[in-house]
Amino acid sequence: MRKMLFELNGAKAVAEMHDDVVPKTCDAVWKILPVEGMSIHANWASREIMLHLQGEKILRLPPEGPVRRTTAPGDIVYFWRSPQMSRGKQLAYSSQFQRELSEFAVFYGDPAAGGLAADDPAREGRTANLQVSTLFATFIDLPREFLQRCEEIRHKGLQRLVVSRLEG
Amino acid sequence: MTRVKIKLGAVEAIAELDERGAPKTTSWLKTTLPIKAQAVHSMENGREVYVILDDARPLEEENQTIYQTVGDLVIYYKPAIFVKPEWPRHIRDYLVIGFVYERDSAIRGISAPLATNLVGRITEGLDALAHEAPRMRREGMGKMSLSLA
Repeated sequence: MRKMLFELNGAKAVAEMHDDVVPKTCDAVWKILPVEGMSIHANWASREIMLHLQGEKILRLPPEGPVRRTTAPGDIVYFWRSPQMSRGKQLAYSSQFQRELSEFAVFYGDPAAGGLAADDPAREGRTANLQVSTLFATFIDLPREFLQRCEEIRHKGLQRLVVSRLEG
Repeated sequence: MTRVKIKLGAVEAIAELDERGAPKTTSWLKTTLPIKAQAVHSMENGREVYVILDDARPLEEENQTIYQTVGDLVIYYKPAIFVKPEWPRHIRDYLVIGFVYERDSAIRGISAPLATNLVGRITEGLDALAHEAPRMRREGMGKMSLSLA
C-alpha cells in the first residue's frame, strides 16, 4: 500500500492508502501530491481538519468503493461538494471554496454522532450526485503532537498542512 | 425589553431578551451578566459561537426549540461528546450560551437535534458577527463578552 506523509506545523503523521478498495481515487490523489495549503477546522463534522484542493490540484472524482455510513478517527476522506449543496455564506473559506468544495477531510478524533453529523439527511447529496465522500486512506502513525496541532487549529486559526508521498 | 450587548472580538451586537417566553432563564441570565470568556466556534453545529458558563445552578428547560435559526441567542447544556470513562459525571455536559450567525446550522447532541432554551434574538449587529466569527475561525478565536446594554 502507498503511504502519505502529513506535516502540520512541525508535527508529522503517516497514512496508508486504501489502494485495494478505491484504487482510482488513490491514483488521482497520488498524482497531485505533494499538496499544501492552510488547513481549517471543521464546523460540522467535529474532530476534522480540512485541506482544500486549489488550482491545478483540485479534484472532481466520481464516487468509488462501498457506501460509508460512519467515519472513524484516523480516516482520511476525499470530499467533493457541488455548488448546489452550499447553504449560507461560507465566509471562513477562501472565495474559491465558498460554493464548490474539493478537499481532503482529515479526521483526527471522534467525529460527531459517530460520523453521521456531516451526513445528516438535509445535507445528503450522495444520491443526487451532489456530493462525493470517499475514504481513501487511514493514519497508521498518528502521534499525539499531530493531534494537538489539529485541535489547535480550532482555537488559533489556520495552519499550513503539507501532504506528500512517502516512498522508500 | 432587556437588551444585552454582545461583543465578539472587534465587533458588537445587541440582543433583545425574550422575557415573556423564557422568564426564568432570562432572569437567571441577568443575574449572571456580565460574562467574559473565551469564544469557541462550534465544530458540530455549523455557524454557532458560544462561551462556557461557569455556573453550578441548574437551569430548567424553557422556551425550547430544536429549530434554531440565524440570530437566536440560546442557552443549553452542551454534551461533552468525547466522554472518557475516567471523567466524572458532572463534565459529561456543560452549560453554554451562544448564538447562531448564519444558515447551515443545527444544534445537536450526541446523535440528534438538541433542544435549547431560546432566550433572545440578536436585533442589531448580526452582520458584523457573521463576518467576525469566520474571521476568528481563520485567524484564531478571541474573547466574547455579554453585558446589559
